[in-house]
Amino acid sequence: MNDHAPPSRTTRLTSLSLFAVIVVALIGYLVGLSDGVPIPNGIEAGSASRQQSDDAVNKDDHTIAAISYAEIPGSLTGPTAAFAKNPVRIPTKSDYDLFEKIEPSPADKAESSRIRSTRRAYNGAPPIIPHAIQGTSDSACYACHSNGIKMTGMKASVMSHPFLANCTQCHAPPPPTPFENVPASVENDFAGLAAPQAGKRAFPGAPPTIPHSQWMRENCDACHGGANGWKGMETTHPWRTNCTQCHAPSATLDQAVVATSAPMLPPPAIASTGPASPE
Amino acid sequence: MDSKRRGFLKSAAMAAASSMVLTDANLSLPVLTAEDDPAALPSDGDAVSWNKAPCRFCGTGCHVQVGVQDGRVVAVAGDKAADVNKGLLCVKGYHVGGILYGKDRLTKPLLREGDGFVEIGWDQAIDIVAKRIMQAPERFAFYGSGQWTIPEGYTAQKLMKGGLGNNHIDPNARLCMASAVTGFLATYGVDEPAGCYDDLDACDVLITWGNNPAEMHPVLFSRVTDRRSKGENVRIIDIATRRTRTTDAANDYLQMAPHGDVAIALGIMNQLIANGTYNKDFVDKHCAFRSLQSTDPTLQGEAITEDEYRKRIAKYTPEHVEELSGVPADQIRMLGQLFGDRNLKITSLWCMGMNQHTMGTAVNSLVHGVHLLSGHFGRPGDSPTSLTGQPSACGTVREVGTLAHALPGGRLVAKPEHRAQCEEFWNLPAGRINPTPGYHTVKMFDQFTKPAEDGGDIDTLFVQVTNPGQTLPNLNKLFNDKEKLKDKFLIVSEVYPTATTRLADLILPAAMWVEKNGIYGNSERRTQQWFKMVDPPGQARDDTWMNIAIAHRLFELGHEGMKDKDGEFIFAIKDDNGEEIPIWEFEHYYDVNVDKHLFEEYRQFTTMKHKNLAPYDEYVQARGLRWPVVEQEDGSWRETRFRFAGFDDPFVAAGQEFDFYHSTSGDGRAQIWFHDYQPPPEVPDQEYPLWLCTGRVLEHWHTGTMTRRLPQLNRAMPTSYIEMNMDDAREQNIRQGEIVVLESRRGKTELPVWIDGRGRPPRGTVFVPFFDETKLVNDCTLDEHDPFSKQPDYKKCAVRVRKLNGVSS
Repeated sequence: MNDHAPPSRTTRLTSLSLFAVIVVALIGYLVGLSDGVPIPNGIEAGSASRQQSDDAVNKDDHTIAAISYAEIPGSLTGPTAAFAKNPVRIPTKSDYDLFEKIEPSPADKAESSRIRSTRRAYNGAPPIIPHAIQGTSDSACYACHSNGIKMTGMKASVMSHPFLANCTQCHAPPPPTPFENVPASVENDFAGLAAPQAGKRAFPGAPPTIPHSQWMRENCDACHGGANGWKGMETTHPWRTNCTQCHAPSATLDQAVVATSAPMLPPPAIASTGPASPE
Repeated sequence: MDSKRRGFLKSAAMAAASSMVLTDANLSLPVLTAEDDPAALPSDGDAVSWNKAPCRFCGTGCHVQVGVQDGRVVAVAGDKAADVNKGLLCVKGYHVGGILYGKDRLTKPLLREGDGFVEIGWDQAIDIVAKRIMQAPERFAFYGSGQWTIPEGYTAQKLMKGGLGNNHIDPNARLCMASAVTGFLATYGVDEPAGCYDDLDACDVLITWGNNPAEMHPVLFSRVTDRRSKGENVRIIDIATRRTRTTDAANDYLQMAPHGDVAIALGIMNQLIANGTYNKDFVDKHCAFRSLQSTDPTLQGEAITEDEYRKRIAKYTPEHVEELSGVPADQIRMLGQLFGDRNLKITSLWCMGMNQHTMGTAVNSLVHGVHLLSGHFGRPGDSPTSLTGQPSACGTVREVGTLAHALPGGRLVAKPEHRAQCEEFWNLPAGRINPTPGYHTVKMFDQFTKPAEDGGDIDTLFVQVTNPGQTLPNLNKLFNDKEKLKDKFLIVSEVYPTATTRLADLILPAAMWVEKNGIYGNSERRTQQWFKMVDPPGQARDDTWMNIAIAHRLFELGHEGMKDKDGEFIFAIKDDNGEEIPIWEFEHYYDVNVDKHLFEEYRQFTTMKHKNLAPYDEYVQARGLRWPVVEQEDGSWRETRFRFAGFDDPFVAAGQEFDFYHSTSGDGRAQIWFHDYQPPPEVPDQEYPLWLCTGRVLEHWHTGTMTRRLPQLNRAMPTSYIEMNMDDAREQNIRQGEIVVLESRRGKTELPVWIDGRGRPPRGTVFVPFFDETKLVNDCTLDEHDPFSKQPDYKKCAVRVRKLNGVSS
């Protein structure tokens, strides 16, 4: 770069380096202004909530700003900006009627099965978490998944097992936000146990057996009943609340006994020729 | 599974994946519809056969129920009959079935030819290994694993020490729990915990010492937090160098400086003495005091008087401990008060934080000492409990004694009577076993990667069931040099390509987990058996078979060591007619249950140290049994939950409350140790201003060889990372997710940054998990190790972080 004649070399060098220093300083200043601060990990990037527009109610979608008691009557409270934006309409009729005739649709059932299967390595595996998670505290999970919840276009499914601490011990989340674009696919030939279609019926009209393990699926309502269950898998008789009264579970699937033929008392000893029957 | 069904599964999976939120065909399960072939329709699970096995991963030792259909593992469930996990698992355990089916399973023996490999047959492979050994048996070393099954480790042990008269056999567990062993030996004179997991159900206070069980032993940690969520009162105290998920669940978080644990334990002892709240009665009856000799210190140390102990501990006042550990003096007083309260039941848990430590033996002994001095010992819930990271670190390494200085059943190669006992059990001529301990792990690899002309006297190394190319500390010194040494021969038995097979000269494809019979021993002395359930892929074969086949080839080549006193093959198994079964031929290996024969032989070794094992068939019926397992008058076998305590241990004489029957002082007493605090070997300075801590994450197990083949787990944690404090990052203008260079005096690696992520290190500290073979953090770690256990310190060294594209600020 500095291939000029000696007389002007020193001054040229000085001005060049001065220029360079100014440019570097300016760039540094602008970079510093724009994004010098690290972005903390959070739900910002790539999560569902990012699409929500800014709203005057609350800039932060996840917290409700504290206000004084005096301000409460005049202020709009609500969980999130997005929620507050939609006018709340109280439905005239509950969308779940206990005494309505229920006819589960096979198409709904196939669709529900399809969605469920995409989240499990095999039938009985704890589902992976299909959404970004912000907090990993149990209460964060429990808030939506204890009884299930429906929000615009989204459904939080109901926990099928009793409360257990440390949710992410079993349910694998999506990658942490900073690494969500890291290639993660690996090739594996594992073919998991397929979900059962239906239990067996002893005769047409008989109550079907339970075709899956009840372990960790103690709450039948999680899938088969209630407003937050799975479409197409709902019971036709939600008012009957003692499920195993009629539907037989599998002792083998529930690890109660090994699947061999049931032990029985020996049959009665019958003499080869009976006494002559009275004429 | 026929090809039609397989094809169908694939298409169903593809269809299912195409419209889901998270598109990943690997994650989905087939759904069958009415149009499908009714014969292919899944029944209600009747076609699946279930059997028990311990989980393949960590030392917790959960039992899983493995569902097998058409010769393949299709499902896994937590085993409800298992005491350890009571029907629950963690995310790794639930997906353990998939580890068998990664696309890149090794299925054929591979021999290096130039830069690549050629496929060879097993006969040739075994012949190559045997001839390498035959050339120079004393220059051969065997590097094994805490993932070895008991029969695998036992055959390796017998082949080396009983057959070759060569003690250069050491396991990866040297890097993992050697300091726990020396801590137990120094304190009780015998290895392994006195208590068990039942303590977690009874404790009022749980102290985690540099331990993150919420991620590393989640099933055990949840056992405690579930008690709390059911309304019980359990106080969890987390003593750690960074905030973790365990901290999230803890009632108290005591943030210590690296190495602070030593000072904290001393501080608690100081408080117990200063306040007079130590358990005088227990100490008078059952304890003695001990310290290192001032010159030539030994693991056993020397006895000191209580007065001397009091004098030395007086220095470690809460204020002094605060200076050393960074934990406020008030918190030290709080811990002192807790331990001074006899009404509480206190359990301590630790794992790698205290073991991977240049003062590992010392800090292990001190924490035992805190429990002994305070009398928080020997009641359910009152227990110092060390956890292991590998499924059979206890069973195969500590009990079978596959360490360079050890023999089975707690025996030592240096003791003539122990060698003689082993020679008798093995029916060997007297003097076969070499009296000099072999090379421990760090030394073994140092000798292997050093040129022969510079004194590197290990030429051939057999690595089985482990991945030292990723896990050794300071890889540039201890492993990577192998690449240049063409005369050194590395044999690796593996299931997938790894950082170790990269430099291998011969790769042997191994069967894994339920592809073979096995026996493991978990952290709470529980011995667990399982049967082979599916066939291994291709030519993959059992590691036990490999060891026997190599031994038999040596036998054929005329190696005298492969014969016992009567000229018989050392691994001979005979049928009912007295005919030898050719188990060294793989097609005959399963003609007999080789595991059972080896286990029954091994069982004789276990009674000397009162670690009695039951016959193999008892374990077939149980979900593991905790030793000592002792036969009762009615012929049944009883396991032991609490050792040394009269109410449960069958070896404590009736009427006695406690008896430390392997006491190093020979009087039934346990040793309360005093150790002075020593600073860490390398501390941050101007050039390398940050502390580096390495470790694990929930989703991946150790080097990720298995878990990184599982879509569900890899999705959850696709890459290793460097965890940074926000202020440290800000200072260098480093942003979330940015790739940076991590450098130490020994090496460097590039990693993406996670600021205030799952773990939150304080200023001046960074954390890197070691599971990712593409980002080897052990290029940076230190090979300094504990003087007694020889276990390296992976938890602290000095590093700097530099922006990838720029100059360090």
